[in-house]
Amino acid sequence: MPTVTFLPTFRKIDVSQGSTILEAAQKAGFHLNVVCGGQGKCGKCRVLVKSGNVLFDREQYSTVFSDEELAEGACLSCQARVIENIRVLIPEATIVQEQQILIDMEDIPTDLNPAVWKYALELSPPSLDDPSPDLTRLLWGIEKRGGPREGSIYAPLEVIRQIPRVLRESGWKITATVALVPGGYRLIHVEKGNTATHIYGAAVDLGTTTVVVYIRNLLDGSIAGVGSSYNHQISCGEDILSRVTFARSGGLSRLQSLAAESINVALTTAANAAGIDRDDIYEVVVAGNTIMTHILMGIDPAYMIEEPYVPVVRRYLTAAAPRVGLSVGENSGLFIFPAVSDFIGGDIIADILASGMAGSEDISLLIDIGTNFEVVLGNQDWMFSCAGAAGPALEGGEVLFGMRANPGAIEQVSLDFGTLTPSYKTIRDQKPKGLCGSGLIDLLAELLKACIIDRTGRINTAIVHERIRMGRQVPEFVVAWREETAIDRDIVITENDIKALIMSKASVLAACQTLMNQAGIGRGEITRIYFSGAFGTYINKDHAIMIGLIPEVPVHQVIGIGNGAIAGANIALLNRKKKRLLDEIARKIAYIELNADPSFMDEYTRSCFLPHTDLSLFPGVEEMLEECRMRRVST
Amino acid sequence: MGISTLSEWTGQIHELVIGAGRGEGGTRSHSVRVGGERDLPYIGTPPSGHMPLVAYEIADDPALWPAAATRAVGDIADDTGAWAAYAEKECRPDLVRLSLTSTRRRGFSELSGIQQTVEAVLQATGLPLIIEGSNDPGIDSEVFLKIGEAAEGERVLLGIAEAGRYRSVAAAAMAYGHAVIAQSPIDINLAKQLNILLREIGLPPDRIAIDPYTGALGYGFEYSYSVMERIRTAALKGDTDLAMPMICSAPDSLTVKEVREAEGADADRIAVAWEYHTLLPATFAGAAIVSVRHPATVPLLKRAIASFWGGTGSGGA
Repeated sequence: MPTVTFLPTFRKIDVSQGSTILEAAQKAGFHLNVVCGGQGKCGKCRVLVKSGNVLFDREQYSTVFSDEELAEGACLSCQARVIENIRVLIPEATIVQEQQILIDMEDIPTDLNPAVWKYALELSPPSLDDPSPDLTRLLWGIEKRGGPREGSIYAPLEVIRQIPRVLRESGWKITATVALVPGGYRLIHVEKGNTATHIYGAAVDLGTTTVVVYIRNLLDGSIAGVGSSYNHQISCGEDILSRVTFARSGGLSRLQSLAAESINVALTTAANAAGIDRDDIYEVVVAGNTIMTHILMGIDPAYMIEEPYVPVVRRYLTAAAPRVGLSVGENSGLFIFPAVSDFIGGDIIADILASGMAGSEDISLLIDIGTNFEVVLGNQDWMFSCAGAAGPALEGGEVLFGMRANPGAIEQVSLDFGTLTPSYKTIRDQKPKGLCGSGLIDLLAELLKACIIDRTGRINTAIVHERIRMGRQVPEFVVAWREETAIDRDIVITENDIKALIMSKASVLAACQTLMNQAGIGRGEITRIYFSGAFGTYINKDHAIMIGLIPEVPVHQVIGIGNGAIAGANIALLNRKKKRLLDEIARKIAYIELNADPSFMDEYTRSCFLPHTDLSLFPGVEEMLEECRMRRVST
Repeated sequence: MGISTLSEWTGQIHELVIGAGRGEGGTRSHSVRVGGERDLPYIGTPPSGHMPLVAYEIADDPALWPAAATRAVGDIADDTGAWAAYAEKECRPDLVRLSLTSTRRRGFSELSGIQQTVEAVLQATGLPLIIEGSNDPGIDSEVFLKIGEAAEGERVLLGIAEAGRYRSVAAAAMAYGHAVIAQSPIDINLAKQLNILLREIGLPPDRIAIDPYTGALGYGFEYSYSVMERIRTAALKGDTDLAMPMICSAPDSLTVKEVREAEGADADRIAVAWEYHTLLPATFAGAAIVSVRHPATVPLLKRAIASFWGGTGSGGA
């Protein structure tokens, strides 16, 4: 078996002949970027083979690498096959970086109505005069303390087994925990002494890429701790379809345990920081997309991605948390947000709950842009939703110098319209390594305003300027010169990058327009546009309107709600009455299948223009662009 | 008789003038006007706007031209000037369309040859001209400037601008006073987008003809037809970015399998029929100019259009 030695750590691993370098890296415990799930499409898993030979078709990927890079041994780890002992250098950019995870949420006040209570009891021991059984004695104690009636509390066998010992060893001073579950009240825990103040719950946002956990004190509702992690499933493919593909080829149980593991990592971080014992967490509320929650529950998601795209469950789900592998109290409950369809999942229901749009007469548009995008339009009486793939461009994928929002990513750009010199800001003010989504949106808007690109995104090569030049195949604009960067290369945006961005933004706008057409709603009737997710938090809202990512409304009506999924999960954790709303919201939402809507492709083509082919939909933008053109003509 | 639809619509198609006579700085025997319609083709009484016109296409490099077209004219095809003179005398089209196919050859660099060809055609015919240049961004700029310059003042219709390469054509048209064919691949939105791009670099709307791209009959024509209808209806409803006359050529008509494989006396008959039955319906969908490559198609189309027009047409003068 050939040995692969990974540099710079010199970690060694034996693999079978013909394995890919990616497989070897995964076996060695490296998490590499595999945006496309190992299909050789994204070019993000590049490694340098320093010694030894591999099977790799350099011709086929000659556009991905420069000649110098190929000379240095560059190849795609998912395509290069090991045939002999090799040494492989994994560049920093190829390793999955610590993500800048959006843990911030709008902390929406809600009544404290948790679904778990603790009762500290001092019971009188039984005697010949008072021979009632242990359990009855305990439940009576709960009723006397204002808890549910004795007869209405169900006690599972595993708890009953504990009762005689705990009662006697504690001298009849115990704390009992009761939860309200769909079947009614349930005695979930009995412990010695008075632990009534140790009662916590966890709200979880289980995303395709990241996991966020909030631990809340269920006595007063305060935030006890926050933790996050990237989703460890990333090593099985970055986007959701590649995960389903992985599940199909026998990987469901691996994905399931990786999901639980990711939640546990975030949970442990949060609990440790707050000095909380994870056993004192009695309820876990999870909001996640449909595929993620299906996988967490161990339900096969394979049929959801085939026509007619039906999820297995649409109502909320409950189970005992440890049954899916979460390391919290042994009888703690797990509550999973309901989903509407394959792509409108519990995370979107959580967004809706957090935005409050389901409780208002005003019509709102809610947009969640992540690996995929989801759009919901409506109010308290009706809702339309749709979802689609925006492509990875808005998150920095399929863009030559695109990257996730990691340190060193250019996140803001502005152009001096006279000299065409960009000024930019990077995350953590490091030397730039690439461009992330918010930086790309800025750049697109600024290039348009400066008339460097036209409305189809083509660079005007007639402008004579050192930053506008012909690249390897298409024209490009230099954002940062080699000397300024941390990667020893000019950071550019190419015409192909711009096209990919326009196609991405067009699918989002076309989805919004399609819902608006279906509902017969004009942009003037939309009171608010809610942006959920990291993308919506960091982007420049004026620029999002300028390039036509979202319909034009007065910019103060565009509201970022931060991580809406975690905000919604928190609300449901603290206030069980809101949980009842969730199924109602899920039932109310009509799902529009964009692929089946004949007008969608038309809308899409109309939206593949900056900002839109129907300029009257963007009157403010038009006024501004007209000024820009005038200025350009006069200079 | 006739159905009045005027009350429904507020829009009007821009009028496009092609060709300039001696008094206007050119050398054409007359100019032609198209567009100006306020309704759908052939249904107004009297019809609004101008009657559709027929252009006959010739090429400077006949090797890159359909066999059915060159066969019909014989050796004349080898002399572009003579071909243009033949066109005017024998086919009697409303316009001559010169296709500079020589620019399609690999490594083309004969810029002076272009100038000579254009000048020869201008000499040989007094009809207004449509000139189609290169389709390679690498040489577009020089080619179109050369055509524009050689035909300065003649108000030719210059083609073809596409979304990916419109700046060179438009620049030459603006510099030398010509109009532009704006071609998009059978899509109303893409047609509109290109017109907006042309407007924004300063080309006036009355110097644009929309080429919606015309598939041959049996090879996608019905798709072109419905897009043309949509373009025209949108324009009549007031979308000024689509209110330009449409020009249709069916470049594939003479290369479809049925025409290629036809033999003997049938060959010409089928070639003409294919062009005729593609481009006459194009006028029903709103085409203002239809251009054909077989000389025998020209009189047939002209006669048919005139009869549908009711003999009241005023186009061409």
